[in-house]
Amino acid sequence: MNPIPVLTIQDVATLQDVLSDFLKKTEAELTVVIDRGGNIISQFGDMNLMDVTIIAALAAGSFAATRELARRIGEVEFNALYHQGNGSHVFMNSVDDDTIMITVFGSRTTVGLVRFYSTAAAQNVANILKSLQRNGHGLAFDAKDVSTAPIFTEPKPASS
Amino acid sequence: MSIINYASREIQFKIVYYGPGIGGKTTNLSYIHQRINPQNRGDLVSLATAAERTLFFDFLPLNAVVIKGFVTKFQLYTVPGQVIYNATRQLVLRSVDGVVFVADSQWEKMEENVESFRNLAENLARQNMSIDEVPCVLQYNKRDLTNIAPVNYMEYVLNNGKRRLPSFEAIATTGQNVFAVLNAVSQILLHKFSKQNEVPHATPVSVAIPAQNVIPHNDNVTV
Repeated sequence: MNPIPVLTIQDVATLQDVLSDFLKKTEAELTVVIDRGGNIISQFGDMNLMDVTIIAALAAGSFAATRELARRIGEVEFNALYHQGNGSHVFMNSVDDDTIMITVFGSRTTVGLVRFYSTAAAQNVANILKSLQRNGHGLAFDAKDVSTAPIFTEPKPASS
Repeated sequence: MSIINYASREIQFKIVYYGPGIGGKTTNLSYIHQRINPQNRGDLVSLATAAERTLFFDFLPLNAVVIKGFVTKFQLYTVPGQVIYNATRQLVLRSVDGVVFVADSQWEKMEENVESFRNLAENLARQNMSIDEVPCVLQYNKRDLTNIAPVNYMEYVLNNGKRRLPSFEAIATTGQNVFAVLNAVSQILLHKFSKQNEVPHATPVSVAIPAQNVIPHNDNVTV
């Protein structure tokens, strides 16, 4: 495995300050920072709107899928993507080589406003992520802490 | 790539089901989704064609055990098995922590199995990962069909690397050994993760894989 990024409570608080400020300025509903593998790094906003885990996986896929399209027109990748719905919209922008920021917003704001503030927010997030610890983070657990019992179980045998 | 979040006390892992087309990868996820306690899983998302062939990926998030107060979250993905979708497979493999290789046991699929396994190794190498280091489990699927290769032969053609991988006979449609495979890869992954975060002088514990599910000769699991 590669070095493991660690988010301390302080890191998460700092990230959430940036995201909170971004949501306040844009009046968007939810913003999520994810890695390009689809893992959630931080999130802020109305979490009851949707399953954020699934949004993260699909957004990472969507962002990655358009890379090839970008290459065909001579770009390395698109820095930002916008999916327009009837009432809800999604704006995604690149934070750094490993990270993407997703913003879900409705009719209270506009894509222009979200796009405008997302640039500074992404830069702030990138600066915070650069300083993250990797390994040596104090989460000390060893093989004895991992139960030998099956991790996932079925409620009862399936009928065949 | 796993992420440790101290604020939400979560550790996230990504497991990818890999293998040739129509081998049963999506069926594995569907079965897990049907059978696991709904409180421990999210929705199963499938990006498939009208003919139910996986176009991009399937995705199933699971919550699992608590380790020292941290909830482990496993995100299960499948890849499209068809040869032409290699770019998509590379995308889905990004930041992977563990792999289940779903091989089709039918004789006529053996060449596709070998090609897909080679493709897995190549795609891992592209992101500087080695098939000999990534937690990986082999699942020999469709053992209920009649025209299947013997397990020894499948071991010979697929499980012949530097490291002997745990392997299971399975029937994904009925769920036989679907959970055993998921548990095996999860355990190996957690043990590898614990080694990276090892307490000095910790005593190694062998990986728990139910003996009846394991093909003979595979008891030396390298974690």
